[in-house]
Amino acid sequence: MPLKVPLDRRMADPTLIQMPLWQLLVMVITPLAVLGAGVTLLRWLIRKRSAEKDDPDWSVPQLEGTAGRSPFHRWDVRCKIVTILVYSFMITAIQQITPAFVAIGLSCLVLVVARASLAKVLMRLLAIVGFITMFLLVMPFTVPLHSGDTVIVFGGLNWLHFSMRGFWLAATIAAKAVAITLLMEPLLATAPLPVTLQGLSRLGVPDMAGQMVLLSYRYLNVFRHEARRMSTGMQVRGFRKRSNVATVQTMANFLGMLFVRSFERTERVFDAMRARGYKGHFPDQAELRLRPVDLVGAGLWLIIGVALLVYDRML
Amino acid sequence: MREENSHLPPPQVKDTLFCLSSLNYRYPGGIQALSGINLEIASGERLALVGQNGSGKTTLIKQLCGLLLPADGAVRFKGEPLQGDHLDRSRLKIGLLFQDPDDQLFGHTLIDDVVFGPSNQGLSREPARQAGLLALERVHLADKAYKAPHHLSYGQKKRAALAGLLAMQPDVLLLDEPTTNLDPGQEQVFLDLLLDFTGTLVCISHDLLFLYELCQRAVVMEKGRIAHDYTMNDLVAQRSQLRAYGLDFSFRLEPATNGTDDGPSVCARQNSAPSTSPMTPPMIALGNYAFRYPDGTRALTGVDLSIATGERIALVGENGAGKSTLLACLLGLQQGRGTYLFEGQPVTRRLRRHLWRNIGMVFQDSGDQLVCPSVGEEVAFGLKQLGVSKNEIRRRMEEALSLVRLEGFEARVPLHMSGGERKRLALACVLAMSPKLLILDEPSAGLDPQGEELLLSIIAELDVTLLLVSHDMFFVNALSRRTVVMHQGAICQDLSTEAFFRDPGLGNLNGLAYTFRQRCGEAIRVLQHEHAHSHFHRHLHDHPHEHAWVAHDHLHKHNHAHRHHFLHTHPGEDEPHEHATRRYHDHYHHDGDHGAHDHDHFVPDDPSMTGESGESDSKPDNKK
Repeated sequence: MPLKVPLDRRMADPTLIQMPLWQLLVMVITPLAVLGAGVTLLRWLIRKRSAEKDDPDWSVPQLEGTAGRSPFHRWDVRCKIVTILVYSFMITAIQQITPAFVAIGLSCLVLVVARASLAKVLMRLLAIVGFITMFLLVMPFTVPLHSGDTVIVFGGLNWLHFSMRGFWLAATIAAKAVAITLLMEPLLATAPLPVTLQGLSRLGVPDMAGQMVLLSYRYLNVFRHEARRMSTGMQVRGFRKRSNVATVQTMANFLGMLFVRSFERTERVFDAMRARGYKGHFPDQAELRLRPVDLVGAGLWLIIGVALLVYDRML
Repeated sequence: MREENSHLPPPQVKDTLFCLSSLNYRYPGGIQALSGINLEIASGERLALVGQNGSGKTTLIKQLCGLLLPADGAVRFKGEPLQGDHLDRSRLKIGLLFQDPDDQLFGHTLIDDVVFGPSNQGLSREPARQAGLLALERVHLADKAYKAPHHLSYGQKKRAALAGLLAMQPDVLLLDEPTTNLDPGQEQVFLDLLLDFTGTLVCISHDLLFLYELCQRAVVMEKGRIAHDYTMNDLVAQRSQLRAYGLDFSFRLEPATNGTDDGPSVCARQNSAPSTSPMTPPMIALGNYAFRYPDGTRALTGVDLSIATGERIALVGENGAGKSTLLACLLGLQQGRGTYLFEGQPVTRRLRRHLWRNIGMVFQDSGDQLVCPSVGEEVAFGLKQLGVSKNEIRRRMEEALSLVRLEGFEARVPLHMSGGERKRLALACVLAMSPKLLILDEPSAGLDPQGEELLLSIIAELDVTLLLVSHDMFFVNALSRRTVVMHQGAICQDLSTEAFFRDPGLGNLNGLAYTFRQRCGEAIRVLQHEHAHSHFHRHLHDHPHEHAWVAHDHLHKHNHAHRHHFLHTHPGEDEPHEHATRRYHDHYHHDGDHGAHDHDHFVPDDPSMTGESGESDSKPDNKK
């Protein structure tokens, strides 16, 4: 049975709930275990789906081929980018947990409408698990205490207090992050990357930035493979990372060599581009046409966003 | 089936396409890469650019496509200097194929990449797309049009890079080592594609058999200069010249002896026989071994392999057959299911971490293995991990560097060494660690013939258990006694190397057939066959004669045949001579005009051309 005890000097008026120390472990370990199990399950699901997937017919465009299936694929890329980005900013402005969860629900609805790949959505969620976990673990213990806060103190350790307001704040931030992350798949995977970058370019983002993103996306894999081969080369000669100066020196050599190789490759890639007539810009990938229905879709979505904000402020 | 090179019709040579005059180029670092280059390339020519690593070949083709601009002299394309607007226009008609296809495939998907060139040529979206699709169809990749380049195999990437050029319908193709790292099946496909190309072709390669099949003219480069300009037949026929320029690949043409007679010096068969005693466990024993990648790809299935101490085994198979995965498992980098015994001991998790002490591997790309700033540190790297004392490190370093003929290189920077030197350095790094099993992954890839021959002789001298992974059937034949053939993740044949080469069906099954190589090899061997030979010919010479009662000497041309003696190639001892082509050769002239020159030869069995004896007296003396 929790006991209400006198408040600390710093804690102006918060309500304090005393709990045994072992419950701290339960409160920390249980969510971590649930999270770990969730991550494992997500990884298994992703791997299973990747393994089961047959090699598609690569002679037809993978994204344009599904264009008839989803309004997101048909939506003008500029309109889509602007709408989703503005809507995402609206989500970040939410302050209450309930509207944040409503935003998650709306994002899930969008995923269904866009017929997004579940495996890819889960991968994106996995990418932010660490970020969310950090918030959920750290914020309840670190938010400044306000009057009216409910605080849990474990085993008389007054310096270690778990703020329920901090917890809900972290949960709200996490929910908003999840809601926005879920929208990234409809934003980025319903048009080929070059078309999305072309849309960004038309919206005023410098052309060179788009080209750099495109080339980085292409060559990240190549550099990763090179790094892996070099790492294997060191492993088969017995190198193991240890906490000593020799390891630091070896890693510095490794990174230096990787940089030199990458630099040489960028020079060769640039030469290859010039040799095929490159003079500063890539050819346009698609003809972008803005239709009235695109604008109507954008308007409707933004109205939903405004409604969500109004609901949030009314609570 | 294609006709061999010497039977190909001469190229449709029209007007001069490239004209290089007094071309010099120096890199910003001060290295003089090209000096006094004078070269003309006619439209429709197929020219091989050969020379040792660092002789300036790549710099020259970069000049030809305007990626580098001459410091002195001029490069003219279609009569105009390659600069300014003309350069911009010309680049769209000159295709440059890079050695590494990843340098060239920068598009998001294949079709994006292939469309890049036609779009820059000014084609609108749909015609450019059609041109791209057509080019992909030509290279048999139409079914991969929307696939990302990093999901393709190496051979497919190479063909996709070529498609990117073909889509531009270039007048000229410049190729830098087009067949490096391709398996024989992919190599043949690539060769067919290039033979179908009707424009001008300039090809850099160390693979003279490939060049012999593809090109008619050969320009030899040495230290930034053009050393010789031959026909391809003349280049390959003159072994002494090839050797002088470090290009002699003739060792590849010598028949293997299977250890029964005094065969080529590079043959590995003099090494100790494997220990096959039933009491001695094999060094490596894999039983029903399988491996599956995390994404579900099945890479190895039911592999049974035994390697005895002292054995020399070749592991062959097409790209993607599972060879690299098998090596990773042997090295303990991957763990599959099934039995893996090393010297009779099951490879547990603990033993797996120590396998590197006993198994050494030389990678296909030595750059993957060389991370230190100096040769000395590089060789010492593995020894330090072994915990060897400093004195011992020094001793072993000197020994290993001496073994690979790199004495005195300790302070050199590996990054600045040639491909052959780097390969030997990588070998030294592994040998210094005294591995029980040495794995060589494509040791001959990217080496010039001289480098290959040296590496071959070094490996042949080693007294170590050897596992050779290679598409190079000459290395397989020269270095191994047993050949293991992999196909789709399984070992489909395990037989003696001799039996492997006797069974053409195995080669065809695994895309390892070397039909054009065998054909070219035989043709070149015939060209390199030399014997002393006398025959008649006519030419200008100085001799006393009479004109209307006046006897005098002067240079005089008349229908006069006389004998002379020289060494020349011969199509076969029992076959008639064919002297229809003009050939450069060195022989004695009455007028004292020595040196290589050409002149018309008589057809010896043509009665109208025979002299007093009426026939040529061929005297083979087996001067090979």
